Amino acid sequence: MISVSPNNASEKLDLANLTDDQRALEIKNLSLYYGEDRALHDISMSVPKHGVTAFIGPSGCGKSTLLRCINRMNDLVESCKVKGDILLHGKNIYDKGVDVAALRRRIGMVFQRPNPFPKSVYENVVYGLRLQGIKDRRVLDEAVERSLRGAALWDEVKDRLNASAFSLSGGQQQRLVIARSIAIEPEILLLDEPTSALDPISTLTIEELITDLKQKYTVVIVTHNMQQAARVSDQTAFLYMGELIEYANTDTLFTTPMEKRTEDYITGRYG
Amino acid sequence: MDKLNMGKHISNKFNEELEAVRNRVLSMGGLVEQQLSDAITAIQTADVELAEKVLSNDHKVNKLEVQIDEECVHIIAKRQPAASDLRLVIAIIKTIADLERIGDEAERIAKVAKESFSNDQQQLLVSLENLGHQILTMLRKVLDAFARMDLDAAYEVHRQDEQADRQYEALTRQLMTYMMEDSRSIPKIMNVLWSARSLERMGDRCQNIAEYIIFFVKGKDVRHVSPESIERTVKGDRAP
Repeated sequence: MISVSPNNASEKLDLANLTDDQRALEIKNLSLYYGEDRALHDISMSVPKHGVTAFIGPSGCGKSTLLRCINRMNDLVESCKVKGDILLHGKNIYDKGVDVAALRRRIGMVFQRPNPFPKSVYENVVYGLRLQGIKDRRVLDEAVERSLRGAALWDEVKDRLNASAFSLSGGQQQRLVIARSIAIEPEILLLDEPTSALDPISTLTIEELITDLKQKYTVVIVTHNMQQAARVSDQTAFLYMGELIEYANTDTLFTTPMEKRTEDYITGRYG
Repeated sequence: MDKLNMGKHISNKFNEELEAVRNRVLSMGGLVEQQLSDAITAIQTADVELAEKVLSNDHKVNKLEVQIDEECVHIIAKRQPAASDLRLVIAIIKTIADLERIGDEAERIAKVAKESFSNDQQQLLVSLENLGHQILTMLRKVLDAFARMDLDAAYEVHRQDEQADRQYEALTRQLMTYMMEDSRSIPKIMNVLWSARSLERMGDRCQNIAEYIIFFVKGKDVRHVSPESIERTVKGDRAP
């Protein structure tokens, strides 16, 4: 059973009844199997536009699996089978004939460990654009500045754009990866524990960045750090053993969750 | 106690910290209850010594308030409590502020107890004692409700405040009549009136504590809402 908490403040979204204009993504009866094992059980939820949606839950609950479903990263896993729909602008991304590379341009992803390419800062950012065949230097230069500014990294690297990406600190590398993702102007940005390998200051910088990013993009974040989910997200989904237990506005979920399992998890009790 | 689920955190240290702060609130409640009880007895028996004791014990209540506040600040800083843990810490911080004020009001009554009243005026003190006992009962009940986080008991205390208010109004009318009849007694009667006012305020503070208990159990803020709305909250679904 999924609890969707009622909307109790006018500025908060009614997550159970989003309009098409408010919705960036709709997940409908999604189940996922790794061979015989069912990793996700019949998940249905809507992700609102221009907001930050967090997935939380203990290890192995399926939160990263669910995130990876959103840009079909699980296609790369052999023996993985997906049932159900994920609708982007009303169209199922799992339909036959969907161009997965084009889908991933619209839905970017950032992983736990910063994974810049062994190239310069500049080349990292323009990598996706070059793949798209863009060669005009002026367009690329503009995209680099815009993306690095968007990722709150411009001021720190503007004088060493040709330096190796590996010369940057871990936090800077993660922001570079975010810049690389937003260079191709996706609609949705998926962040899979983006700060778990970073120190507290870099973590706060990324969190600040996430708050800025949601002005332009829809952000979905998986995090082990509950306080982080509480700080950065607008709505939070709690998953447990592959099930969506509760999905609510973050303020509600962290003060008055409806489900005992959510309460036990966020207060650090034995489940 | 079970409702608090306090022993079930993965961190034992956190269990201990919450248990310790909760126990200290109960001790503070016990102390405030004793202060009020002594202040009423002091008026009843014109016991100046007992009144002095109340006055000298007030600093203990204040000290506990500061100590508990500090512990709550540490819990918030170190544990970042969420959901029911957060509501418990917030309910404690608010409860002890009201308990401290009840302690202050008890001190005020004890000051009145040190004055001497003529035989005629003794009759007024009886009415004051009645109100005092009613408030003392409310305080005991709300502290019990807090110890067990008992929603129904808290709601009962919340409703009892109305009776206390009515009794206060009746007493005020009686005192005003007395003042009109004998203007020389006005200074003394004013003191009785202030004491009655103190008791009435204590009733309001017991009602506040009842609201914090409802907030903890139900996760809903029932301050400044209609009695019907409180009833709906109390009888509706409970937070997990």
